[in-house]
Amino acid sequence: MSGGPAGAPRRGQGWRAVLDLGLAAAGTALLAWAAAAPRRRRVDAPRPRRMPAPRAVTPAAESGWAAEPASDAIDTRPVAVIPLRRDFGWRFTLGLAAATAGTLLLAYAAVALLLTGTGLWGTNIPFVWGFDLINYVWLIGIANAASLVAVVLVLRRHGLRTAINRFAEAAALAAVAAAALYPVLHLGRPWLFYWVLAYPASFQVWPQFRSTLIWDFWGIMSHLVVTGLFWYTGLIPDLATMRDRAALHGRHLTAQAYGLAALGWRGSVRHWARHQAAYRLVAALVLPMLVSAQTIVALEFATTLVPDWHQARLPLHVVATGIPSGLGVVLALAVVLRETLGLQRYIDDADMDLLARLTAAAALGCGWLYADELMTAWLEDAATRLGMVARVFGPYAGLYWGSVALVVVVPQLLWLPALRRSAPAAVAIGIAAAAGVWLDRFSLIAGGLLRDHLPRSGPLYAPTVPEWTLLLGAVGLFVLLMLLFARFLPVVSMFETRHEESGKDVP
Amino acid sequence: MTAERRDGRPAPLDEPPLPWTLPPPDRRSVLRAAGASLALAAAAGCDPGPEEFGDPLYARPRGVAAEERRYATVLELEGIGRGVLARTRAGHPVKIEGNPAHPGSLGATDVFLEAAVLSLHDPARSRHIRQGGRIPRAAPAPEAALAALAAATPGGEGLRLLTGPIASPTTARLIAAVLAAHPGARWHQWSPLAEDAALAGALLAFGEPVATLHDLSRAATVLALGADLLGEGPAQLRHARDWSAARAAGRASGRLPVLIVAESTPSLTGAKADRRLALRPEGIEALVRAVAAELGVIPAGAGHPDAAPIAAALRQAGPAALVAAGRGQAPAVHALAQAMNAALGAIGGTVRHLAPVMARPEECGASLQALAAAMVAGEVRGLLILDANPAYDAPAGLDFAALLARVPVSVHAGLHVDETALLSAWHLPLKHPLESWGDARAPDGTAAIRQPACLPLVPAARSAEEILASLAGVAPDGETLVRGTWNLGEAEWLAALEAGVLPGTAAPARPVRPRAGFDPGPPAPAATGLVALFAPDPHLRGGEFAPNAWLQELPRPITKQAWGNAALLAPADATALGLADGDEVEFSLRGRAVRAPVLVMPGQAAGVVTLPLGGGRLVAGGVPGRTGFDAYRLRPADAPWVVPGLVLRPTGGRGGVITTAHHHALEGREPPVRSVVPGEAIPPLPPPRSLYPDWEYPGQAWGMAVDLDACIGCNACVIACQAENNTPVVGPEEVARGREMHWLRVDRYAEADGRAAFQPVPCMHCEKAPCEVVCPVNATVHDNEGLNLMIYPRCIGTRTCSNNCPYKVRRFNWFGYARQEGAVAVRNPDVPLRPRGVIEKCTYCQHRIAAARTEAGMQGRPIRDGEVETACQRACPTRAITFGDVNDPDTAVSRAKREGRNYALLGGLDTRPRTTYLARVAAPQDAPGGAGAAGLPPGDAG
Repeated sequence: MSGGPAGAPRRGQGWRAVLDLGLAAAGTALLAWAAAAPRRRRVDAPRPRRMPAPRAVTPAAESGWAAEPASDAIDTRPVAVIPLRRDFGWRFTLGLAAATAGTLLLAYAAVALLLTGTGLWGTNIPFVWGFDLINYVWLIGIANAASLVAVVLVLRRHGLRTAINRFAEAAALAAVAAAALYPVLHLGRPWLFYWVLAYPASFQVWPQFRSTLIWDFWGIMSHLVVTGLFWYTGLIPDLATMRDRAALHGRHLTAQAYGLAALGWRGSVRHWARHQAAYRLVAALVLPMLVSAQTIVALEFATTLVPDWHQARLPLHVVATGIPSGLGVVLALAVVLRETLGLQRYIDDADMDLLARLTAAAALGCGWLYADELMTAWLEDAATRLGMVARVFGPYAGLYWGSVALVVVVPQLLWLPALRRSAPAAVAIGIAAAAGVWLDRFSLIAGGLLRDHLPRSGPLYAPTVPEWTLLLGAVGLFVLLMLLFARFLPVVSMFETRHEESGKDVP
Repeated sequence: MTAERRDGRPAPLDEPPLPWTLPPPDRRSVLRAAGASLALAAAAGCDPGPEEFGDPLYARPRGVAAEERRYATVLELEGIGRGVLARTRAGHPVKIEGNPAHPGSLGATDVFLEAAVLSLHDPARSRHIRQGGRIPRAAPAPEAALAALAAATPGGEGLRLLTGPIASPTTARLIAAVLAAHPGARWHQWSPLAEDAALAGALLAFGEPVATLHDLSRAATVLALGADLLGEGPAQLRHARDWSAARAAGRASGRLPVLIVAESTPSLTGAKADRRLALRPEGIEALVRAVAAELGVIPAGAGHPDAAPIAAALRQAGPAALVAAGRGQAPAVHALAQAMNAALGAIGGTVRHLAPVMARPEECGASLQALAAAMVAGEVRGLLILDANPAYDAPAGLDFAALLARVPVSVHAGLHVDETALLSAWHLPLKHPLESWGDARAPDGTAAIRQPACLPLVPAARSAEEILASLAGVAPDGETLVRGTWNLGEAEWLAALEAGVLPGTAAPARPVRPRAGFDPGPPAPAATGLVALFAPDPHLRGGEFAPNAWLQELPRPITKQAWGNAALLAPADATALGLADGDEVEFSLRGRAVRAPVLVMPGQAAGVVTLPLGGGRLVAGGVPGRTGFDAYRLRPADAPWVVPGLVLRPTGGRGGVITTAHHHALEGREPPVRSVVPGEAIPPLPPPRSLYPDWEYPGQAWGMAVDLDACIGCNACVIACQAENNTPVVGPEEVARGREMHWLRVDRYAEADGRAAFQPVPCMHCEKAPCEVVCPVNATVHDNEGLNLMIYPRCIGTRTCSNNCPYKVRRFNWFGYARQEGAVAVRNPDVPLRPRGVIEKCTYCQHRIAAARTEAGMQGRPIRDGEVETACQRACPTRAITFGDVNDPDTAVSRAKREGRNYALLGGLDTRPRTTYLARVAAPQDAPGGAGAAGLPPGDAG
């Protein structure tokens, strides 16, 4: 706590630090174990059930890949063909319409908020933050976890990356885009949000650099930039492929668009060398950012004097509980994409199996984290302990236990092979994990304020219709962005797939 | 505001609107109306304001700088005056402060005085003469109504005059003139809160009506019998100051005065009691009789277990004892209290008797019943109702509204178009006391001239004095009328206006002794079942303050309820009936029924249900709508305060209770209000540790100390702060959501026995303010004198400062409250309005500091101690709040902070607050759970 109002040293501080370190180590080891087993894709992978018939295009015609011997590489043309389809079917149109409606709802909610004020929400004193921060922390958690997995997979050169990285990163970006609305809209005067920028204002007032909100602003901005860069760098060779594909199909305008985005990629050996260096460099950049961004969000709570929030373990809790939500969303997306786009060959059963087990493992780690939360509270001073008791057994107890059930218990079902191979079950469990983390954020942000240093001065917080509208709108925006991504870009990394399954190293 | 706009007038209705036919307003309209009720005509910002109001000025009090524009005047509560200084800007009073020279206020204010400026500027005030409840196309002169009245009652035959209780010499003189001009006329007085029993008790005890003054400053042992000395009534300011003086002397000498309270429902006096007995009304009478028997006043009868120790304590105090009875007690209790005071030798010491201050002491209940009887008999052909609202507040049994319809010519004059106005043949708008001439007498009879602090805002309005003068055939000129009463020379007249009091006008002492063979009569029969106890609402009184949005929104001191009222139920009764806070029940009493929500109130005597009066107004100016329930609908004429036989039936409904106290319980926290034994010092905090260097204050460093031993929780500071700082009213819906905007709140920590500790919580102005470091845009900063300031234009509304404030004193403008529909103007131009989306909070009245600095700078001297008074400090009747420069060891605030009982709220957090508290002092026997068998903590025994 800056300014040192944190008070007397707390009993059990040392214990807590040791516990937290131990838990962090355990969690990291678990993730590392799950991600580390380097695995080559089996050549005799089962054939997809509904693989589209390859179009009559000769591999040699792909200029970008002229140098690459295509004979033993897996054919990624079915992936490239998808964005070039003229018709995506009525279900896609329906989905797109729904997502657009959701996004319009978001626009409506935002305009109503701007015209009327944050009084539309159920917030009050002391519950000054409601869905704004709950949804923000939740979405950032999803984005962080999705990126984290992608980055670890790239750095480890793990086979799973070919299957999930592209859309996991896209999901992360979409989640950040949806999340980024909240810090602006939650302001009393959103039109002045730029005052948190360190710009040379004529009145020479700088932001308050001791404020965690400023740290958060920097954290989120960096996150957005670096994650975007990571995703885009990984996309460049595939954009070149798309350009060539579109040209072969005679879609010259489309080809030009892809070509522009591909930044003149020709697939030369020098390109590849630089690309690999850049890609891994950016990936390495992303790694600390992911931990730091979510940590800073947690610091917005941990550095306050609110007893239940004022805990050193909070950043770890927020970062680590974010992982099942991100993995859950990635798992659900993987199922949806492979089933609807017929990508079983590229996101194969083994990938799904591994992803499901990873989610279950992360959820198990969260179980330890929840246990740590209770134990830490028990070892803490009375104010914190009673704050936690109020959160766990008070009026918001349902949120807490709901989050324990959905984040920790439900994903354990994925250890059952039958369930993790069932598409509906995987989608349901993945979304349940994400919803559970949302409950956890609700429990933290509203429930943490139940018991403060003085008796509570306001009625309980309960979200209002405008807040639900905003949440629905944000989800609509996320879905819209994902649909557009699936419509216009290859959803799995074609060049990595080819490379990974060709059994050769990149030049 | 003054201009009468022809086009703005509502179209005349075909039928007079009856109050009960008006549709119940939807809840949003209440909010809008609350905003409208805030609409004041004072100038905004730098705008000097419209010149059309001119300079109303007559004289300003001595010793006040010319720029300040304060005018000494006097405002009445139940006919009794309390002297005030009206601070004006651009010809408009914007703030009321107490007149230190006036014995009724002693420089302090209560919530009603503070709220007067809002009533004055209420756009919902009556502006037009009405006939049959509607506004005629051609506005008649007020004299037309009086002429109609005179024409209907030749020679005054059948003419009746109904007023509130009158103490004002000018009004009394004019009433006498009216009665002389119309020989057949009769004058009745009515107030729903009249102290009839006190008058009856004095007659019973002494055989003559006398005014009884209680001097708490001299008291060593006080026995309050349902008497809310510290909580309500026109003498409350005086009592509160005296009591705090007695406490201060007691703390200094180690002999604390003892306050014993026997009451049926929690009051502010009971909250501060050393010993509190929660008794049913007949139990109080039994106790009084037993104590009186112990003291030898009456022959011994049935005993009472608590009587002996109480009598012993009183006897020990002797002449320094004081027994007081409240307005809800039977005349016998009042008489016994007087007799006990006489037996103890307290008369002439703690109790003084004066010649009656009221112009014609009489029992108002009987007076109104006599009028009603005459109306039933058809004897009343003309009725003039001056500033009273009997159609609303007359006992239900009289059915006054129906009787009023039978009077051929009824003329009502009032500030608002109220229930009576709509039912009367004529309604005349009345001038607000701040815009009219008059006079008033303090509780001790001292007279003060009421001079207008602004020109009349309603051209059609007349003052009560002018109406009476017209009826009496005297030229209706306010100033002349008042001058005519006093016949002062020009110099004396100006001196009286400047001082705000007329010296030497106190009522003469009336030596009395109990009548020989004094007999209080037979004891009241023991009642069984539920007893209904009617009580004035702490903020709405009898309902006359219901149109005032400030008072509606101000949380009641004990219940912390806002925008409405509720029946109070003892916890035991609630458990037995299976009722919880907010449950709706139907009360039936003598064949009449009313529905009301209930609140479970610790300290309420079992079997007693408190029904607060003043709620459920059908038409209440700018606050249209039934906020709360109307207990008058149950009130019988013969028993105005205590009625047995109440029947209660849960309806199964819920809701209607809006409160700002959501958690009474400490739940294992260290008590925020600390208590020490006399002489005990609270250990200082360990030296603070911080990563940041300390601030340096080369000049002043402002600080505040709040004496919790003196604080009585009366809310005057809260409403003073609201008036001073333009704090918006947010309305019932927003208060229910927890968005009230008061910068200063009074936390109440209840004890199970009905006592309570109060703690005013303004901004702490922490040395290491947690809010400052978390604001991303530097909108809340530390200034060079230690103030923690909000820069409103810089605030973007992240609300993170509120999250990090452990005291939760920050308020957020969730909507644009200050500029919402109807809220047209600002009150105090020194304080900016806050826009939507910014945080606001207590500034230590920073604008007052700036004004004092300017003043001192112009005179080339430093700011003197006491020169800066915050609004809350100025209002406080017990002088609990001290403010000043903590850098200077000789200031009052530095001395206060050096006291051993000084402590910081949540000091362990190391925020180092500038606002600190002085702990309550209680004798050791009185420590929680430590009350001895005698139950009495006489300070001189310990």
